[in-house]
Amino acid sequence: MKLYQVRKGQFVYYNNELHKVYGVKPMYKLSVHLIKLRDLTQHITNAASVERYIPRENDSFIFEHKIYTLKNNRKAEAGDFILINNPAPDTLDHYSLNEIEVVETVDNKGVITSDLNGIRHNEYLLMAPGRAPDSHPIDYQEVANIEVEDLDDKGRLINNPSGELSSKLGDIYKKKDSEFLVEVMVVAIKGQTIFLGGGLELSQEELMDTDKWEFQYNPFDK
Amino acid sequence: MDKFKQNSVFIISLLLTLIFIIWGVFFTENLTKLTNSVYKSSIDYLGWVYLGATLFFVVFSIYLLFSKYGDIRLGRKTDKPDFTTGSWLSMLFGAGMGIGIVYWSVAEPVTHYTAPPYGKAYTVDAANTAMKYTFFHWGLDPWAIYTVIGLALAFFQYNKRLPAAISSAFHPILGDRIYGPIGKTIDILSIFATVFGIATSLGLGAMQVTAGMHAIFRIPNTLVIQLVVIVVATFLFIISINTGLEKGIKHLSNAAIILSVAIMLLILFVGPTLTVIKVFFNTTGLYISDFLHMSLRLNPFGEGKWIASWTLFYWAWWIAWAPFVGMFIARVSKGRTVREFVIGVLIVPTLGTCLWMSVFGGSALELVQKPGNRDLAKNIAENVNLSIFTFFDYLPLSSLLSILGFAVVAIYYITVADTATFVLGMLSEGGTLNPSNKIKMTWGVIQSALAAVLLFAGGLNVLQTASIAAALPFAIIMVVMCFSLLRGLKNEVEVQRGNKRNVQHL
Repeated sequence: MKLYQVRKGQFVYYNNELHKVYGVKPMYKLSVHLIKLRDLTQHITNAASVERYIPRENDSFIFEHKIYTLKNNRKAEAGDFILINNPAPDTLDHYSLNEIEVVETVDNKGVITSDLNGIRHNEYLLMAPGRAPDSHPIDYQEVANIEVEDLDDKGRLINNPSGELSSKLGDIYKKKDSEFLVEVMVVAIKGQTIFLGGGLELSQEELMDTDKWEFQYNPFDK
Repeated sequence: MDKFKQNSVFIISLLLTLIFIIWGVFFTENLTKLTNSVYKSSIDYLGWVYLGATLFFVVFSIYLLFSKYGDIRLGRKTDKPDFTTGSWLSMLFGAGMGIGIVYWSVAEPVTHYTAPPYGKAYTVDAANTAMKYTFFHWGLDPWAIYTVIGLALAFFQYNKRLPAAISSAFHPILGDRIYGPIGKTIDILSIFATVFGIATSLGLGAMQVTAGMHAIFRIPNTLVIQLVVIVVATFLFIISINTGLEKGIKHLSNAAIILSVAIMLLILFVGPTLTVIKVFFNTTGLYISDFLHMSLRLNPFGEGKWIASWTLFYWAWWIAWAPFVGMFIARVSKGRTVREFVIGVLIVPTLGTCLWMSVFGGSALELVQKPGNRDLAKNIAENVNLSIFTFFDYLPLSSLLSILGFAVVAIYYITVADTATFVLGMLSEGGTLNPSNKIKMTWGVIQSALAAVLLFAGGLNVLQTASIAAALPFAIIMVVMCFSLLRGLKNEVEVQRGNKRNVQHL
């Protein structure tokens, strides 16, 4: 019998994949609420079927379809993602274990995130984009029976590890390398092919090239 | 020199406070004399400033509630509130009132009953007037002060991405001069007011904790014990700063709020329930219909002592307390809209305090109005520190209530002191969200020392006078802040409108 207490924020393996506990509701049979780090889908299970993992330096994993390696050898800079692995929040701060936040400003003592939490430099690990060659992939508990291709999220993201992942219906893009103003909306998506209004058709990758296309806004986002 | 420039706000405000403390320790009589003369002149010459400013804040907050700025979200458009509405409201309530509400809830109505602002004492009319003024002092006005400052801080911090300092609220007027001498002066004044506001609260807290120990454990209720309480509490929160027990503080402050509500409900049920309900309705009516009269009452041809020692003291105390509470409220309100914010900070807590005062004040007045209890009323009014425990003695389950009451006061004391060090650290380091532990500890020691000095110099009266004096410059700063906020909000509406569509197809 496993007598392990699951806590909010912990990294755990569930069905062999890396998840984060985002809530524990005692008294319920399925008391552990998980979020899969790879694609941020939600799952629910019980404490017996998860296995804890403590993330440490030089671990690499996929978070929201992008690959990161945990680093501790340099201070974070504005725009970096950080994993708060050693939280010591002040009275008025609002963050907890293993939260992933974006750095907004950096000073000597710590960083201030886009959620306006003040986090000292010893409280976090930097999430450097890409999988460092000597890193320790932690996406799966047992890598043996996972196909290599699967490890890097269908291979596609290796090309573009830090770019935005995908467009969605209704996104408005502006063409940047054009003499006159071209603004189009994504009207259909078929696999990797994106159909834009006005009969334009191009690949996902091409649309993500920020030299050619610039995302404007999505009128359906509220 | 560079280092001085970086830390000038901290160093100057620290020096000012230290001068005051040294003065208090070595020239106690001189200090008492001076605070008294400040007190007198503040009644004679400057009372109207406090009254006018505070009424203006109420009008301004209500205007914001109905204005077109109501839909502006504090933070990014996609930001969601960090806390559920229930825990948000209870945190606001705890931060805004804290120790004071326990300290005064019995003492104030009973004191007014024995010495009303007008009319004859010890009558039914005096009881109604007493409740009316208690509602007035704890109702819309303090919460309007917090609304103004909290909203300004939150707006400039979250929407304009400026540092978490009071000077940031002046960006629309001063521009980048908020980082220069003018901005620093504003920050120094806000720290000065905050230190005094907190010291007043800690002083009251120490008196209350000592009184609680006297009531429960029969420990003598003397100045020495009060000072010991301050020293012990200072040790406790300095340990908590250094060992990362901050999380525990958070749980403690939640516990204090739950315990307060439990006490209120307990008294509501074991006390005179029907009277309390009647008092709540009747006083709400009186409060609304006499609001303007009370707000502007100055008694020009008579003596203004009552107004000075109650209304003006409260207004000054709330204003001195405002940078601290405003900082706290701003910190927990990210992701709320302006309208939600005003409802949550102005309307709901006002109802909460009125209910609280009805329960405590109503039951206490019912008790002292009984024939033969006139001495009890006098006793409560004369021993304000002990008032709440004296009152508990006359209720069923009195020892349980006393212990709960003592726990609430003690917890509020620690949590306020702890949060205050954090806020003072932020304010004195240019609004950083990572104040250093050394600066936090310095403020921790300073605020305790100041509370001790004020108690030593003469207790409650000196506490009151000191906060009246320290809050005056800050009251004027806050009036200007309203206009600055209005300008900022106007600009935000334009920016948000512009964002929707900024490309023109020709």
